Amino acid sequence: MFQSIRFRLQFWLAILLLLVLSGFAATVYQLRRTNEIKQIDEELDKRVAAISGLLRGGPPRRREAPAPPFLGAPKASPGDQEFNRPPPPPPDGFPPPRRGERRERPPFAKGGPRDFAPRDFEIPPDQGNLFAPNPERAYYFVVWSRDGSLLKRSAEAPASTSLPTRSDRTDTRTHFRNLADNREAYHYTELGDCILAGVSLSAVDGELHRFAIGLAIAGLSILLLGLACGWWVTARAIRPIEQISAAAQRISAGNLEERIQVSDRRGELGQLAKVLNATFGRLATAFARQKQFTGDAAHELRTPLAVIISEAQTVLARPRDAAEYREAVEICLDAAQQMKHLTESLLRLARFDNEPMNGTQQRVDLAELCRISIERTASFTKERSVTIDSNLAAAEVVGDAALLQQLAANLLSNAIYYNKKGGTVGVSTRAETNQAVMEVTDTGIGIPNEELPYIFDRFYRVDKSRSAEEGRSGLGLAICQEIVERHRGSIAVTSAMDVGTTFTVRLPLASA
Amino acid sequence: MRVLLVEDEPRLLRSLAKALREEGYAVDTASAGDDGLYKAETYDYDVVVLDVMLPRLDGWEVLQRLRKEKQTPVLMLTARDALKDRVRGLDLGADDYLIKPFDLSELLARIRALIRRAAGQASAKLELTDVSIDTRTRLVTRQGETVALTAREYRILEYLALHRGEVVSRTALLDHLADENNDSLSNLVDVHIFSLRKKLGRDFIKTRRGLGYVIES
Repeated sequence: MFQSIRFRLQFWLAILLLLVLSGFAATVYQLRRTNEIKQIDEELDKRVAAISGLLRGGPPRRREAPAPPFLGAPKASPGDQEFNRPPPPPPDGFPPPRRGERRERPPFAKGGPRDFAPRDFEIPPDQGNLFAPNPERAYYFVVWSRDGSLLKRSAEAPASTSLPTRSDRTDTRTHFRNLADNREAYHYTELGDCILAGVSLSAVDGELHRFAIGLAIAGLSILLLGLACGWWVTARAIRPIEQISAAAQRISAGNLEERIQVSDRRGELGQLAKVLNATFGRLATAFARQKQFTGDAAHELRTPLAVIISEAQTVLARPRDAAEYREAVEICLDAAQQMKHLTESLLRLARFDNEPMNGTQQRVDLAELCRISIERTASFTKERSVTIDSNLAAAEVVGDAALLQQLAANLLSNAIYYNKKGGTVGVSTRAETNQAVMEVTDTGIGIPNEELPYIFDRFYRVDKSRSAEEGRSGLGLAICQEIVERHRGSIAVTSAMDVGTTFTVRLPLASA
Repeated sequence: MRVLLVEDEPRLLRSLAKALREEGYAVDTASAGDDGLYKAETYDYDVVVLDVMLPRLDGWEVLQRLRKEKQTPVLMLTARDALKDRVRGLDLGADDYLIKPFDLSELLARIRALIRRAAGQASAKLELTDVSIDTRTRLVTRQGETVALTAREYRILEYLALHRGEVVSRTALLDHLADENNDSLSNLVDVHIFSLRKKLGRDFIKTRRGLGYVIES
């Protein structure tokens, strides 16, 4: 079951879905986290600026308008709202500085005394809630004096918070750092005081954790949905395969007429079904031929058997004289000879069907074979009053001499048998380019055109009833064709009614 | 009884004709389809034994054409043993179907059965008032005693007994009891009838003047 295509498809779909979903979830999570940190940073910056202002006795540095919330922007704390009001313009009339940008130090003459603002400060009540204890986010601050001594710190500030190092003495930009579970922003004033504001990230982490769980649940649901859809889709995709398999099973069970029904003729499975159907068609034809052949063989054997049995039973029914017995035995012998001839032919064909070409290969001259055949059939030729007109030129081929001898003998005996009395049989051999040609022509009754395609079929007879007369099994031409095909040659026939028939055999010429 | 054999295998035809003649049948033969059809249409045979693979006109065709004209019982005798061939043969109007190679005794029994059925008799033994005829052994008994009959006498008796109650003309008797090569019987019908009466009783076979003979049932 786990080997099935469907399960494998489903397995790969699951893996793919899992990869895509986890990649997507990780990206979303990361974006959300970045956004959160950015918001926190803005908040911290705001607070650093406020303290910085207070430290110098001025209003807090104005911060930029908050960036539009991106993904899951946190709820603005009360302090934020407070602070988001447009702050009053700075008293010194300077344009508000940008975040992280160092505010131009005013000329010494103008604001001289302010630069030496009191070293202590109080957070005014209206801004105190910037650091008010907040259940969600507790902001804290620490201020160090330019000499590194602690100037002031809020109660919530963790003890671990230390004075950040300053890389460059002129750097007054706001910097951010992660310390333990806290996010901190700090900046050095022009005078070298260090102001730090921080917040614990535990609340954000909790929120991100919940978000991650949400993402995981959504992802799992999508995965399950995807797998369910996949199951349905594969079921649809597999259905034609199942149809094909079922049809193939019915066919293998013996119903060769069965064919695979396909709805889509163009798809890959349609093509497969077409190919399979064609194969089944060829199989069915082959089986039908085989069946026809065995049926015909049985038929051919039954007739002489019937002769033997009925003759023997008739003769045995009552006492006879010697002449009658003799006649009966002759008839039985004749029928038995006919059966022998037929079984030999059948065996020969069966061997052709089952064995590859393995006879001894030797150089054979077709002219010589024809000469021998003509000699051997001399008595039959005389009996039929047929004249042999031979024109034999050397034509050497490589092959099985015994089989080629039989080929020549079969064609010759056919030509004599189906000839008119006093007719002529022409036998000729010649060598053409690459081909040895043997032609056997008779002056017989001819074969009707519509019968020509079938004459090489086993047991096919032009005259349906001339069964088994004089040892003609109906297999002669089928055997000829098999022999020629075994030698990679061709056999062709032309015929004209009442004029005669010509068989032409072409075999590959033996190389010199 | 007169039988037509249509068979293209000459040795089989010869041997079958011989066997049937020795069984007391008048046998006509044909070795081609058209020849067989002509004979079957021309004469009233009691049975036609028909091969399928025949020159010029095959057995199916002969059977089909014959059935348009006549009810003659036909036994198909062929090497074609496929079920569909047998069914086809019977459906085309054959009365029986026998596959080669066959047993001679079976062929003879089937021919007897066909003849008996065509005459409306069911039993192989014909029981008349005090005469019984066993068509299987061709044994005739009168009041339990065997009556010795010549072959021709038996043929005449069997034919009349099979058609008992019917008046059978002299020509009909000749038609069914002599084959095409043998007309020696023609003058002798009266002689044989006379002899039969002597052996089986004067009134056993009645003469209807100008019509023929009858065994009353």
